[in-house]
Amino acid sequence: MIDALLLDCEQTEGGLNILMKRPDLGSRLDVVNLYGLERTDLSGYRGLLIGLHADQRYLAGRRAQIEAYLARGGTVVFCGHVSYPILPELHPYRPIQNYRVEDLDVSRVCEHPVWAGVDTKDLTWRRGVAGFYGRGFNPPPQGATIIHGLGPDRHPVDFECRPAAGGRLLVHAGADLWGYLEADSSAARIGPQLLDWLRAGIQGGRP
Amino acid sequence: MTVAVLDGGCYYHHDIIYGERFRHCFDRAIYAPDLTDGALEGVKALIVADRISPTILREKRRILHAFLQNGGTLIVLGENQAHTWAPGVEWTFRPTNFWWWLDKDVDPGHRIVEPDHEIFRHVAPKDVIWHFHGLLHPPKGAVPLVTIAPEAGGGPDGTILYDHRGIADGKGRLIVTTLDPFYHTGSYFMPAAQRFLTGLLDWTDAAFRNRKTLSP
Repeated sequence: MIDALLLDCEQTEGGLNILMKRPDLGSRLDVVNLYGLERTDLSGYRGLLIGLHADQRYLAGRRAQIEAYLARGGTVVFCGHVSYPILPELHPYRPIQNYRVEDLDVSRVCEHPVWAGVDTKDLTWRRGVAGFYGRGFNPPPQGATIIHGLGPDRHPVDFECRPAAGGRLLVHAGADLWGYLEADSSAARIGPQLLDWLRAGIQGGRP
Repeated sequence: MTVAVLDGGCYYHHDIIYGERFRHCFDRAIYAPDLTDGALEGVKALIVADRISPTILREKRRILHAFLQNGGTLIVLGENQAHTWAPGVEWTFRPTNFWWWLDKDVDPGHRIVEPDHEIFRHVAPKDVIWHFHGLLHPPKGAVPLVTIAPEAGGGPDGTILYDHRGIADGKGRLIVTTLDPFYHTGSYFMPAAQRFLTGLLDWTDAAFRNRKTLSP
């Protein structure tokens, strides 16, 4: 089994290039063009990584394939703002209206292996600027485990749930979680720990 | 008098094209993988939203070229690898400096070289000043609108917005930029990008829809 399959969205810059070139991490995943999903056998992958630049309209049309993958015990990681019903657990994004800096403050609601040892200050702030991590949320389904909240209302910017189809679903309402590899802060832990969490599987990776 | 927009299916395309902030700016939305010849009938200007799959755009290039040959105006926004499918477009990569604005004393290099161009009746010059994704090198006949000064790394002809009339058998018009306002505005993160997009769509309203309803 390979830890992850990442659906490539052909961006000039971004975390994928960095991830691919890291000998310790790049060998742990395969990358396929997003539109090649329909020709890809997912059975050899522990995780399916969907990034913020994904054509969600296309993925909504692949719902049956993604649900079949979950039913076999797979894990889907979704980063970005939900616009299309790719899975029944993914509901349209809600931006925080007219946000102020305090509305963008990331707080930990629940410990999770992907974010172990990551200081929430390193999520809230980058070079003294707040808001990169999230500015809204994808409303979680009932029973989801909320991992991080934004602002005093703790809007659920990260959650994990067990989809009706089976398997696991991890959702981040922001940029790709594998895009922090070169952060000069504890946020750099997220990418490797995400792959470790996928490898540990459902039994080993409970939050 | 129709303005159409190409939709790449990403969340930011959905937010700009179908959300309440901007949907009144488009007469027709076409999902890029579904683009056919017939879909552009009656379309005067086609906006290619930023960050559509370049593989899809290359697959659809014959339709886009035919649209230009028939006298259409194609407005191509950033990160679409236009240099791999759009007539005359040359581009070089520059690592993007997302942080230029943190140092108030640094001149990011933007120069409005054609301030009388019609687009600047709708787009405030300061709203093109934000990070950019690489440099365009305008071909002969194209009019550079915003360049990056040589001392800021723009080289002899580095451009981030140009207007090329009379291409593709002489009737087409191609406007190209390396700015990516759909992504940033649809991500609720960059006020300058939102102001640029608002101005750009105000211009397409005035130029291609004969509407005077939006403020200049």
